[in-house]
Amino acid sequence: MKRRMTGSVGSEAVLADGQTLSGAMLRQLFFGQCLVLALHLAWMPTWLAAIALLVAGYRYLQLRRRLRRAGVLLRLVGVGALTGGLWLHYGTLGQMEAMIGLLLGVYLLKLLETHTRRDGRVVVAIGLVATTVAFLHDQGIPMAAGGLVVLAWLVHSLVWLSGGDPRRAWRESAWLLLLSAPLMLMLFAVFPRLGPLWNLPQADRASTGLTDEIAPGDIAQLSRSDARAFRASFDGLEPAPAERYWRVYTLSDFDGERWRRTTPERLAATLGRPLGEFVVEGRRSPWLDGEPRFETELLLEPDSRPWRPSLGAPLATDESLRFLADGTLEGTSPLASRSLLRTSSSGRAPANPDPAGPAWHAMLPAESNPRTRELAERLWRESGGEPRAFLAAVMARFGEAPFRYTLSPPRLTSANRVDEFLFESRAGYCTHYASALAVMSRAAGLPSRVVAGFLGGERHPDGHFTIRDYDAHAWVEVWLDGAWQRIDPTAAIAPERIEEGPQAVGDGREAFLADAPFSPLRMREVGWVNRLRLDWERMEYRWQRGVIGYQREARNALMARVTARLHALWDWLVGLVPGRGWLGGMLGLLTAAGAAAGLAGLLRLVWRHHREGRDEALRIHRLQNWLARRGLGPWPGESPSAHLRRVAVDAGDAGPALRDCAHHLERLRYASMDQKERRERTRQLSRRVAEVRSRLRRRLRRLPRREGGGAGAGGVAS
Amino acid sequence: MTLAALAERWWRRVAIAPGTALPQRRLFLLPTRFGLGWALLFLLLLLFGINYQNTLAYVLAFWLFGLGVVALLRAWRNLLGITPTLRLPHEVFAGGEARLGVALAGGRPRTALELHAGDASARIDLPEGQGEAILALPAPVRGEQRLPLLRLETRWPLGVVRALAWLESDERLLVYPRPQYDDEPEHRHAGEGLEATDFAGLRRAQPGDSPARLAWKQWSRTGVLAAKAFSLPPRQQLWLDYDACRGDPERRLSLLCARVLAHHLAGDRYGLRLPGGTLPQGEGPHQRRQALAALARFSPAGERGAER
Repeated sequence: MKRRMTGSVGSEAVLADGQTLSGAMLRQLFFGQCLVLALHLAWMPTWLAAIALLVAGYRYLQLRRRLRRAGVLLRLVGVGALTGGLWLHYGTLGQMEAMIGLLLGVYLLKLLETHTRRDGRVVVAIGLVATTVAFLHDQGIPMAAGGLVVLAWLVHSLVWLSGGDPRRAWRESAWLLLLSAPLMLMLFAVFPRLGPLWNLPQADRASTGLTDEIAPGDIAQLSRSDARAFRASFDGLEPAPAERYWRVYTLSDFDGERWRRTTPERLAATLGRPLGEFVVEGRRSPWLDGEPRFETELLLEPDSRPWRPSLGAPLATDESLRFLADGTLEGTSPLASRSLLRTSSSGRAPANPDPAGPAWHAMLPAESNPRTRELAERLWRESGGEPRAFLAAVMARFGEAPFRYTLSPPRLTSANRVDEFLFESRAGYCTHYASALAVMSRAAGLPSRVVAGFLGGERHPDGHFTIRDYDAHAWVEVWLDGAWQRIDPTAAIAPERIEEGPQAVGDGREAFLADAPFSPLRMREVGWVNRLRLDWERMEYRWQRGVIGYQREARNALMARVTARLHALWDWLVGLVPGRGWLGGMLGLLTAAGAAAGLAGLLRLVWRHHREGRDEALRIHRLQNWLARRGLGPWPGESPSAHLRRVAVDAGDAGPALRDCAHHLERLRYASMDQKERRERTRQLSRRVAEVRSRLRRRLRRLPRREGGGAGAGGVAS
Repeated sequence: MTLAALAERWWRRVAIAPGTALPQRRLFLLPTRFGLGWALLFLLLLLFGINYQNTLAYVLAFWLFGLGVVALLRAWRNLLGITPTLRLPHEVFAGGEARLGVALAGGRPRTALELHAGDASARIDLPEGQGEAILALPAPVRGEQRLPLLRLETRWPLGVVRALAWLESDERLLVYPRPQYDDEPEHRHAGEGLEATDFAGLRRAQPGDSPARLAWKQWSRTGVLAAKAFSLPPRQQLWLDYDACRGDPERRLSLLCARVLAHHLAGDRYGLRLPGGTLPQGEGPHQRRQALAALARFSPAGERGAER
């Protein structure tokens, strides 16, 4: 006998016992889990999908009576396997990703013990939490769209769990989502944005972009990647292509092979001076002041390092950051998610002396790169001890024929890398040249340092810039005439790199974007692909800036704008009203007409009330109509008082009042009486009518309505 | 007075009568346990959004809030304006169940309505705006009984909120005694002439037929349960007498009930003598109904008996 328990046939959420979830409902829950998992899968271990399939397979077999319900043991084994797997995968369970994995795994395993409506709702609720957690990975447009799909699916599951069939549940879910969307938008706009209430574990981020130590060869690795480092837009002046030097780190410690960054803490410890001389936390630079040249809004990608780029030396920011004495910026913590930062910067190398001192910036390891030093000393002598002439001579030398700029230079392996580059390979890119120039300046006694950062960036038609990993660059700053001067040897040998970016470098271009074979950036030349890419990036940028960046400041600004608009509207209205021009007149006329209509309505009400008070016939007529609406209407040809008396027989405690009404009506109609008595009787009549209504209403509520409408009370009277 | 009794009194005060459209003032909204969980979920997501400064988490949290509010309105609308009418069961014997029909007319489609009365419950959808649910109420004792307070509720659409209304009817449910077929010989004589001997044929079995009279052989052959009918040579003039039965009052009533059913089936003329009242001899469904009603209404103290 083949009995089909899984419910492709049935459309009920529960089986006939009213409790157990049907196969169709379980499938619905399982698809929901798959959708939630899909949101996570790019960031989470893939074997979680295997758990989902295993659990679903078990439930399928169980519903077809091949297996028993999962017992405690099996569930414990499941949780144990999950924890073990995560531990093996991450090496710890304390990490954010491992915790997310635990949540997802438990969510998937929960299907094993999902039997009743209540269990189903719990599964949906966990799904909603897991969806929210997915937003930690990313908040872009695809993730938001995915989140919307998941929400719709989960809401549908809930509606279906409450009853009805799936088609009707879909309609209802659509209504629910549509009707609640305006409320959501309003709350989103109005709800005050608070800072984090307490610290929570943050997801670890792979470092993108720069590292804080470079040896000739490192930055070429970056040119192989098209990952986005950050985006920027400018208020006011935009930098010309040759001005787009984004400073990130200064590297002042050279060991003969590599340039390293020295953190303020290390500097303070090494030089035995207080930390406050090297770094200050705040919103304004303590080292520099002056007119900012560029006002920049940065949209930073999450990164495990707290670096913040700035165009030239930073002067001020809109949040509290660490201002380093070398004219760079640092966040107080790594960025776990995309965030907005506004900075104003000078656009030039900093003018303040580095507190580490000139000697620190002229140190060279004693025995390394002898040929380079020799060359530097010779050039220094030839230029007559004039720093500018010396630097010009070095740059001129780089510009000469044997030196070439290439993205895939031969590997340098010796201990004296600068010698090897200057006298043997003579092929390299920014790192090689910057490193060589800095070593030669130092050898000539000029304080100098290498700066790592980005150069250029892609300008989008709407004016924002995207700076990617392949825009990474290194150049040199030399202390000259009481300020740091930016000197970029790349400008001498490959000016097209400065003006057009690394894609313009012809030599060794096979290395460009080598790690991103499917990057849309490779299709720059194909017009429509490039347009599509630019449109998408513009939309993405707006999304990130507008919706994701809608934090405290943005919200406050919006609310201030809204209140200002309302005020303006109010002022405008007030300005119109007292007869200024025809518009004001019209408005006034309309207001007056509205007021008159309202008054007329009010008067009509009062008059009706008054007339009712006087005209007992009308009063009784109304009462009769009222009774008729409740199935106690008059018979054809029956007089009002006869009608009331007839109804009174079966009216319980309303009976006396009804009889009184009939009596008063007859007296008022036919008896002669003076004005005073008439008034008195009318008042009594209206009181009685009110009494009839209230008593009958109560009674009718207790009695079910009789059949047969008009002759309702007739059964008794006849 | 216990809390439950107080609550019940209050419910009766706010209950509507059958036949009236459910007004707004008599409709109540209560969060369910899942609804409280939903509120917690909203808070959790909101905290998540705040602590991680995560905008999409904010959006989702607010959307959940909005969904909760809209679900409240939809649940309210799902119940508002429903007109319930009751259809009393044809006849109920004690110990059986009273199948109370509740017809609901809503004007527009309604989904997942639930009816509760004590432990009995029924679910019904009204895709065309009307329908009837059957509530199987237990009827353990005989007598004229009030209908229980009915609760009409719905958790549609999200299960986060329960819209409910109470329904109270003044109609009485008459529960006949549980028929007890007793074939102890000393009672046999109480209905003289009961022993009809001439086999007159088979007729369709009815509830209450004596097992002795059921045609078991025919049943095993055809699968149709039939009862043997016997004709009484002369028409018997029977009196069913309370005093002629033995046992406690309920037992006597049960025996009488069974005999009324049996004589009715046999087509006899029979009368009923109860302390405090007598039902004259008669026959047919009317007689049967009157006799059963008299038995149901009888109170052993003897103040009330058969009405005529």
